Order: sequence, then C-alpha cells, then structure tokens
Amino acid sequence: MKTTVPTVIKFENVVKKFSLQNQKTFKEFIPALLKGEETKTGFTALKNISFEIKKGETVGIIGPNGSGKSTILKLIAGVMSPSSGKVTTKGKISPLIELGAGMHPELTGRENIFLNGAILGLKRKQIQQYMQDIIDFSEIEEFIDQPIKHYSSGMYMRLAFSIAVHVNPEILLVDEILAVGDADFQAKCFKRMEEFKASENVTTVFVSHALGHVETFCTRVIYLNHHQILFDGDPHEAIKKYSND
Amino acid sequence: MLSLIKEIRDVYKWRELLWQMVAREVKTRYKQSVLGYFWVILNPTAQMLVMSFAFSIIMRIPTNAASNIPYSIFLFVALLPWNLFSNSLSSACSSLVSSSSLITKVYFPRSILVISTILAKIVDFLFANIVLIVYMIAYRMPITVNILWIIPIFFIQQIFTLGLALFFAASNLIYRDIQYLLSLILLLWMYLTPVIYPADLVPAKYKVIYQLNPMAVIINAYRQTILGGGSPNYISLFIALILSILVLLIGLSYFKSREKVFADNI
Repeated sequence: MKTTVPTVIKFENVVKKFSLQNQKTFKEFIPALLKGEETKTGFTALKNISFEIKKGETVGIIGPNGSGKSTILKLIAGVMSPSSGKVTTKGKISPLIELGAGMHPELTGRENIFLNGAILGLKRKQIQQYMQDIIDFSEIEEFIDQPIKHYSSGMYMRLAFSIAVHVNPEILLVDEILAVGDADFQAKCFKRMEEFKASENVTTVFVSHALGHVETFCTRVIYLNHHQILFDGDPHEAIKKYSND
Repeated sequence: MLSLIKEIRDVYKWRELLWQMVAREVKTRYKQSVLGYFWVILNPTAQMLVMSFAFSIIMRIPTNAASNIPYSIFLFVALLPWNLFSNSLSSACSSLVSSSSLITKVYFPRSILVISTILAKIVDFLFANIVLIVYMIAYRMPITVNILWIIPIFFIQQIFTLGLALFFAASNLIYRDIQYLLSLILLLWMYLTPVIYPADLVPAKYKVIYQLNPMAVIINAYRQTILGGGSPNYISLFIALILSILVLLIGLSYFKSREKVFADNI
C-alpha cells in the first residue's frame, strides 16, 4: 500500500434516502391529504456505502439502472447531501454529468464558454487564458461566435467536453457522456482522459454501461447493485461478477 | 445574522458566476426579440398611460392637495419601483425551477440563481427610468437634494425583495403552485400599497397597517423625496428597514434549510 498518496474522495457509511413529495401541486396535495393518502414516498438509493478513492485513481462504477450510480456522482459533486454518514472530497471537481447543463442556446459559443467556466468556478482571467485551447480542442473555430442554437448536437457536445476538461479539474466526474459524438472525437476524449490518468494528478470517476470502456480505461471498478457495493477492486473481476449476476 | 455573513462571503467568492448569470439574462432578453430593450420601456409607459386615464380622468384620484403634480408623474414614480418589486419576485420565484438542470449537476451557492434574477430586473428597471427622467425634465419638476434619499430607500427595497424572493423560490421548488399564489398576493398587495392613490387618503385607523407594510413605506418615501422634495418619514423608514432585515434573515434561513434537498425535489 502506498500510504503517501492522499485520499481525495471518502464515503463513510453513507446512506441516501429520498423522501419524495408525491404531489407537486396543491390540486393533488389537498385531496390526498383529505383522503389520508401517503404524501411522501421514501426510498433508499444507497445503503451504508463506504469507500475511499485516492488521488490519481481512475475508478469505474458499474451496475444496473437504479442501483445508485448517479447518486454517488451527485454526492461527490456536492449537489446532494447524504441522509446519514459523511462524504468528504478534496480538490476542484469538474462534473461531466450530462454535458452542457449550463449552456444557453441564444448565447454564442464564446459566451457559453465564459458562462460554463464560471459555473465550474473559474475566474474570468483563467477562462480567457484557456479560451484558445478550448476552441482548438472542440474543433468549432468557425462557429464559435454564433449562437449555439445553430449547432449540431455533436458540436454542442464537443464544446461542453472541451470546457470541462480544460478547467484543470482535480476530480473529473464522467457520466455516460462518451456514448455520443463521432468516433474520432470519442477517441480524442479518451486520449485526453488517458493524459489525465498518466499525470496522476487527476482522479476520475467514470460511470458507464459500456463495460468495454470501463475495463480498458479504469484501474479499479466498484460494482453496485441493490444499493450496496458488491465488489470493489480489479476491473476484470468486477465485470465478470456483474455479468454473472 | 451569522448565516447571512457566510452567505455573502460565499456569493462573493462566486461573483464571476453571478456576473455571468446576470449577463446571460440581460443578453438573451436583448437578443430574443427585435425590439429588445424597447419592451422594458414600452411596457410601463403603456401601463402608466392607461392607468392615468382610468384613475385620473375617470376616477379623479387627487395626487396631493398642496401641489399640482400631474397624475401620470405621480403614478409613474410609484409604479416603476412597484413593478421592479413585483417582477423581481415573480421571476425569482421560478428561478430555481427553471435552472433545475444546473441544480442537479453542479455545485455552487444556489442563492446566486435568485440574486442574479433580481439584478437583471434592476437593469431593466434602470432602463425603464429613462422615460420618467425625460418626463420630469419636460415638466420641469423641481428637484431638491433630498432626492439622494432614493439610494437608501432603494437599498431597503432590495433587502426586502431578496428576503421574500429566497423564501418563495425555495418553496416553489416543493409546490409549483406557489408561483400562482404569489401572483395573486402581488395583485392584492399592489392595491394595499399606495401606488395608484396617495398615502394621505388612507384613514387614520388603518395607518398602522401601512406602517407595517414595508412596500407602502418605501413607495411613499420615493414619492415624498422625488416629487415633494421633502425628507421621508424617518420612523416609518426605520421600521421598514428593520422589517426588511428580519424578512431577509427568515427568508435566508428557510432557503438554507431547504437547499440541501433542492436536488432531491426536482
């Protein structure tokens, strides 16, 4: 065990329960209340999860739909808080969860780079500094000053990915995004993520159903099912276990 | 109070995002329609003209016994800040719901969404004021140094607005009906605030209610300082300030208590 490598993500007995309001409007809520129906449904997305991820690791999270994979990413991103237990993270997080969440269709590509950079916590100067790299990487130089509503979905995605990987992330969260885009750009994205992996400064958490990608790309895989961790370790074994279940 | 200071520090740390969000609102308004910012001016002007006709020519509401201020200016001085209040609240109320895709993906202080909406409305407000200024110059309205009071009055108004906006934005995320309830509240509230009529017309026994309504105090203070050239009622203004700070603290603490589950509720 290398004890000198710091832990960047730590989950301690994390439980995530959702208590969802069944009714979104008074029209639904008041009759439900009068009839004595349940107004809240509780369900547990994560049951007592503990793990640690060290700096520079590339961890894949696999499991069937609804097993809590995305919830883990959201907890790491700080978007959700655990119902009990503790989540600690160290370093700047760049979430690649469903790209382009902060894009506005009426704004130009360049304006969206500023907006998205700010959402990821960058200062204006830093964004200006990375601007050319982002544009070059995205390969949409000639359209960069046009409103992105005129972009194709591939161009849109390329821009979003370029921003996310150029903000000098320390923790990169990737959720199923590489399924879109043409093969060339996909290869380019993986190349970029390989560079991160080689640098050993960036920790990547990768959620995917593409088991082939997970196996070749990740150094460690967490297999999640029934809201619990069933396996944590070697990618090959994790995938074998997942396929057998 | 401590949570307020912490929130201010957080928002300051993320000020780049705040400016980008305000710029986004302002730019998209300008880009989406041919007339762009013209709407911001046209809207209150048309409102002012029609309301002046209804309340001054038909209903003959007096402006002020002592002076002969035209009703349209009398109305406009109150209508513009009222519209700012009402527009800020209704946009802020839906600001979290309309940015749900951001809330479920990236962490940043959520209050930025509410604050940036209000700031964008202030930009609109400043544009709308052009008409008032032109109008006042055309009528050669006398202005005294007391007009500087509008700065602290405006500040109190924004504290009050922000407090309510935080409360409504957070509750609208749980029940989407809150936005409809809010438009009803705003409609009734306008009639309980001396916007279309002068505050002196209010019978003495109801004055207390007006003193406890910060918007009534604020609107009346704008009028006193801009049109009357006098100083505002210090006691009323002080009560309004205290109430506004109280509302902000309550609104913020409610917002913070719900913030953790925003992403669960969308």
